Amino acid sequence: MRVTRGTDIVVGDWPTSPEVVAVLECSGALLAWDVLADAAVPAARVHDPERASEWLWEVYGEAADRILGGAAEVEVSGPADGRVRDACRRAAQLNWAEAWWPASVTAGVPPLDPVLLHAELAVALSTVEHLLDDPDAVERALRSVVPLDVPTSDPDLDALAEQVTALAEDYGVASAPAEVPSRAGFALAAGGVGLAGTTALSGTSTVDWTLVPHGVVDAAAPARWAVVRRQGSTVLEVSVVPGPRPGARLAARFDQVEVALDGVDEAGWITGSAPVSAAVLLLLPPQRRVLTVYAPDFADPAALDPTAPDPGAEPRRAAIISYARSRTTSPAATLTERRAR
Amino acid sequence: MSTARAVTATLPRGSLVARAWAGLGDAVAPLSNPAGRPLTRTVKLILDPLVLRPVLNPEFAAGAVAAEHADALVSRITDAGPVLAATASWFVVLKKERRRRWITDGNPQDLYFQRCFELATAHGEPGPDAADVAAAVLEEVHEREGPTVAALRDHLTDPVNADELTGLLEVTWAAARPFAPASPVAGSSAVASSAPASSAAGSPAPTTARFLATCAVAPDRDLFRALVTGLAGTAGATDHDRPGVALAQGLTARDVPVRPELGRAASKANLPKPFDRSILERLFAPLTNAFQRAGLVDVPTLVRREIARSAGPWQLADEESRLVLVLGRDASADLAGASAGGPGSAAARLRSRWEREAYVHRVLRMSTAVPPEVRADVRGVREAYLRRLWVRLHGRELRHDTVTFDQVWDVLDGVLRSVILDQRDRLRSVLEREAVA
Repeated sequence: MRVTRGTDIVVGDWPTSPEVVAVLECSGALLAWDVLADAAVPAARVHDPERASEWLWEVYGEAADRILGGAAEVEVSGPADGRVRDACRRAAQLNWAEAWWPASVTAGVPPLDPVLLHAELAVALSTVEHLLDDPDAVERALRSVVPLDVPTSDPDLDALAEQVTALAEDYGVASAPAEVPSRAGFALAAGGVGLAGTTALSGTSTVDWTLVPHGVVDAAAPARWAVVRRQGSTVLEVSVVPGPRPGARLAARFDQVEVALDGVDEAGWITGSAPVSAAVLLLLPPQRRVLTVYAPDFADPAALDPTAPDPGAEPRRAAIISYARSRTTSPAATLTERRAR
Repeated sequence: MSTARAVTATLPRGSLVARAWAGLGDAVAPLSNPAGRPLTRTVKLILDPLVLRPVLNPEFAAGAVAAEHADALVSRITDAGPVLAATASWFVVLKKERRRRWITDGNPQDLYFQRCFELATAHGEPGPDAADVAAAVLEEVHEREGPTVAALRDHLTDPVNADELTGLLEVTWAAARPFAPASPVAGSSAVASSAPASSAAGSPAPTTARFLATCAVAPDRDLFRALVTGLAGTAGATDHDRPGVALAQGLTARDVPVRPELGRAASKANLPKPFDRSILERLFAPLTNAFQRAGLVDVPTLVRREIARSAGPWQLADEESRLVLVLGRDASADLAGASAGGPGSAAARLRSRWEREAYVHRVLRMSTAVPPEVRADVRGVREAYLRRLWVRLHGRELRHDTVTFDQVWDVLDGVLRSVILDQRDRLRSVLEREAVA
């Protein structure tokens, strides 16, 4: 692996796009795996060699000494005992899954169980507690754990539940009462549905994941827009498929037009419409007919650089979706991923 | 700075400890994590202070251990094997007894680890009377009365006490101002003679900047001492009488801090800014924590000391704490603006943590818009930082756990980490509330 030295020591190729990064915040360094590359050995960004030297050998084995000693290239054979590195990988993977798991009905990626995720994360973190940046990481993780519903017919789940109970006892953390938002608790006001009209123009755009919280919209389904003439006026109608954890306030931007997505149609899609000037909209050049769905309390699309669209973003999202689908049946995946339903 | 490391002459202490620990086998499993390494607290509370004892054996200090000491370190742990195994057994016994008594207070590792080591040293492995011994220990740990919030409230609201204490507050506050340190330190003149030789060129006056320049890797004991005796911390509070100064530091919501009330009630969720807290509110949080409460003095003494403390510079009692607050003020000054500290300085390191957070934030898909509920926290990171630092120093004063020169960086860095993690938690809970609503 290449080692580059600037303000930080960087080991390997640091992954660039946030949505592929499985990160773990360690004492003196960040570790990152590119989920699409799926390598056992992570990249590292060491900002405090002194602190990192205490544990870096757990991840890079004997190469750790050469990494900190000034080598420009190191051969990493891995530590003799890989249990700590594997637990680092699991914790990082769960961090990634919590942020980016692309649950999608249309693409066949089942959602993760957040209860299971938090339980598995607490156990993984407890295994690597000695190298984490946050000395209270395990307590913090345990505080978001709610009791698993056991016993089940699944021995892996039962074993995890047992581990978490023991962990909570060892750290003196009482588990939190269950209060995880579920699909059942989701209800948007129905309205503005079923009015017919003549569609003058329509299209779809994909949703940029960085503009909406995790799970709010279906990760794969496109957002649809249509310019509709109805009863003498023209409206822009927008709809988007909800994800497993909808609820955050959504809006859409189409050129200069803002649309609040505050309705829901009979198919369960999140919808909104806004009156527009037909002439203006129909005269828009095609490259400006772009719909941007976002959560106003979460991200501001104006902060994106419109002059530098990322042509790799869409293929990357597609690759992540098929990666996630494969994880549900991969023996190497976390229990949380394998139990996605 | 890593280039200075000799490649083969040292070994990370962590790897030596792991090797020795693995040799102890299953007997120490209750003190180990799922990967078979000693728990973080096993190292912090047992191996470090009771087995390796780097204060007496500096060659065993955390970090790099010279190769020639490696075997000695390993055998030191190996030799302690029987007592460590007994410590582990006692921990299991204590946990069982704790469960039986439905005790849920505090972290068992924090509360019992050192007790278990003492039991292991005195009794060896738990014997037939283990349950009785465990019960006695638990009683001692958990029934250690210590002052309680109820006792504090009763004391402060008792009419006789209240009159007297209010009088004391008035007198103390009237006598205390203005703060005029004997000699201005951070500027130029004082205690230059005691400056250490490490600053080769003409030993300049001890300044906070010089201490901050190296405190992360090579904290300067003499310089710290010089800053304490030169009252650099106290000097840093002289301008608190000027309108807006303490306000800009996030320590009060007022233009100029005013004398605190005694207070009648407090709630953890709604504490005012540090200088606006009543005496009750200042003492409230430490009293709600079993682990912290144990070391505290009786309520009347606690209250009198708090009144005196509230009238002191930075509303703290120890010069060390005041100095650390000034160090934190200076090191956090350029968190968001242009960088002032040189490479490796505390300021540069804090700034690097803050910039790293922006990256981690994106990777963890935290919101990039700032909801109004947390706007003040996120925008005012420096104010949040100084508030948290004050609270931490105040808590340490109550426990007589004065910050030493070599702990300064961990405190300064740990406070920023804690502010950042709190912001994350708050952003998450805002989102979750919205999802449930």
